[in-house]
Amino acid sequence: MTDKTDKPTAPAGPVTHVAPSPHVGDRSMTTRRMMTDVLIALALPTIAAAIVFRQHLLWQLLGCVGAAAVTEALFAAARRKPWSITDGSAVVTGVILALSLPWSCPWYVTGIAAVVAVVLGKMIFGGLGQNIFNPAMVGRAFVMIGFVGAMGAKAYVTSDPAIDVLTQATPMTVWGSEEFPRLGALFWGNTNGSLGETSAIACLIGGLFLCIRRTAAWQIPAGVLLSASVIASVVDLSSGETMDVLKHLFGGALLFGAFFIATDPVTSPLTPKGKFIFGLGIGSLVMLLRLLSNYPEGVMFAVLLMNGLVPLINRWTIPTPVGGPVPVRKT
Amino acid sequence: MKDSYLGQAWLVLSLALVFGAALAGVQAGLSGRIADNKLNETYDQIPYLLDLIDDDGNVTVEITVKIWRTPDDKLAYQAVDPNGQAVGWVIKGVGPGFQDRIELLIGLDPEAETITGLFVLDQKETPALGNRILEDWFREQFVGKDATKGVVVTRASPVAADNEVGAISGATISSLAVGDIVNAAVKDFRARKGDLELKD
Amino acid sequence: MANDGPAPLERFLNGILPENPVYRQLLGMCPTLAVTGNMKAAMTMSAAVMFVMICANLITSSIRHLLKPHLRILVFVLTIATFVTIADRVLAAYLYQMSKELGPYIPLIIVNCIIICRCEVCASRQGLGAAAFDAVGQSIGFALALASIATVREILGAGTWFGITLLSESWWPVWGIMVLPPGAFITLGFLLGGVNWLSMPRGKKSAGCGVR
Repeated sequence: MTDKTDKPTAPAGPVTHVAPSPHVGDRSMTTRRMMTDVLIALALPTIAAAIVFRQHLLWQLLGCVGAAAVTEALFAAARRKPWSITDGSAVVTGVILALSLPWSCPWYVTGIAAVVAVVLGKMIFGGLGQNIFNPAMVGRAFVMIGFVGAMGAKAYVTSDPAIDVLTQATPMTVWGSEEFPRLGALFWGNTNGSLGETSAIACLIGGLFLCIRRTAAWQIPAGVLLSASVIASVVDLSSGETMDVLKHLFGGALLFGAFFIATDPVTSPLTPKGKFIFGLGIGSLVMLLRLLSNYPEGVMFAVLLMNGLVPLINRWTIPTPVGGPVPVRKT
Repeated sequence: MKDSYLGQAWLVLSLALVFGAALAGVQAGLSGRIADNKLNETYDQIPYLLDLIDDDGNVTVEITVKIWRTPDDKLAYQAVDPNGQAVGWVIKGVGPGFQDRIELLIGLDPEAETITGLFVLDQKETPALGNRILEDWFREQFVGKDATKGVVVTRASPVAADNEVGAISGATISSLAVGDIVNAAVKDFRARKGDLELKD
Repeated sequence: MANDGPAPLERFLNGILPENPVYRQLLGMCPTLAVTGNMKAAMTMSAAVMFVMICANLITSSIRHLLKPHLRILVFVLTIATFVTIADRVLAAYLYQMSKELGPYIPLIIVNCIIICRCEVCASRQGLGAAAFDAVGQSIGFALALASIATVREILGAGTWFGITLLSESWWPVWGIMVLPPGAFITLGFLLGGVNWLSMPRGKKSAGCGVR
């Protein structure tokens, strides 16, 4: 669009400016404000992760955010468009991605994940607002399948005694066994796992902040938690184990996913009803994957799968306008 | 003539005849070779499966192969040394894997009581995960296992019991499938060992 | 039917890039995605397709005056199926391992629309010379396309090229995803975009692909 000769002369009348979604009526709800909110909310899990994983967190965070920002700059330069870093979305993608990786992730896996997240997850579709799938999860899925060794259950555990929790297996891989951490550890975050998912309390407070600020729609986490706890309770009752529900909610990436990943306004449905259905779907899929699949955790796949269903959910839940439904014109 | 069926279709019919004849010729010329390829694939593995290879990769015992047929028309290959002494059996095991069918060759001692080797003839498991069933360390775990009891594939490591085989991490289903195929094939063969007929 | 249409040499050159079957016509996607995990498989597939395409084009072209319009597709499919079966049997006899690796994809050449498209577009209208050159050009185009995808996938996904180790596993972590189906789609997408971008007129490139 830099071609000066092609530039149309300024129209005389008023201009309708169509911006990419999220479409919001409130003037104060700019993309930048939302992204800043998300970053503030993410600060809590980040701090919790810093306490548990120390320097490992720093390297992953720097790697992801740096690679995401540079990729976005390169892509913008190639397309001769302004660098969209100021809207903060690349930083948010980078932080969420970093918090979803194992602490031991080698630098090239981190880098590839960030580049894929920005390029395949977002830019290929035309930039922020056009993407179908959650960019951070696209990047994570790519390296998850591409570098099984660096992302599998083994990557989390080390015999290095410098940090205690790193000698434990991740909670979801030792589900049901003696090694499963106590609820208190899951709640405060003193367990092994992907960087940002360990502390339930940090995810809860950060997530509630987002919901109160209306940056995240409360219907999505509510749906996720509701369906996950219903399924967990049914399993609980049938197996006779106690407290499985809380273990399912606090263990693994469920809370982090429900509040920070699923609530991405671009890749979630538009209507409140649709958002709730979307959340219910994610919660059920997570439980399905946890209980019946070969993977210990299923938040990533659940979110990606439901992202793909968003257009369908949007069609199901077209709201009725004031004055009754729009009559269908017969052709 | 022009409007009759034959007038419309004579080209198709004659091409079909010509092509059919050509294909019959190709099949007649190549079918022997194709069958040999399939057979050789099995034959080539027999010394490895029966542990007749020394450290330098040479075959230690000259063997001839007798092919036996079970009542339900499965084949079993019996290796015989120059003195007419049986060296061992090689049987085929087929079953569902994680992605697709897995075809295995299983080596057994002459009494069919011990597993002497395992070879994967065909598999389409996930690269870098399930297809690690091809790796030596995984297959060698089956060597020496008691065929009367069958193997148990386990996720625990190190394996505890004698007849246990460690699964490939991240590919439990493929590992379990291999164990099931081996057990089923060995059990089936042991049950029918008395009713074998020599295939001409 | 007169011998109308582009000259033999033009047919040949068109097949390589201007009408490349994969990058321009987006035909034959099934083998393009399925057998490009490594160069050996991709080149065996290309050779089989080339054999079938040349034979089918020559036969179709030599009987083009006898073809009835409503029976032509039947004749094309009959011809193609015959040569595919021959190719399949020959591979099973002389390249047994490769035939096992390619599995159902060799028989599936029958439904590869590149070949039926060439029979329809070129061989059933033009003489033997044009048909032969067309088949060779198109199959070279197909082979180049498969080679480009397979090169990317094999080098990234296994560190090898034609089975020769280029990137040692000691310092090159293989990208497992590239030899899996998603790798095929991602590679094809990027290369398709790359080819389109490279062949865009110079003036348009700077404007990007945004809506004006």
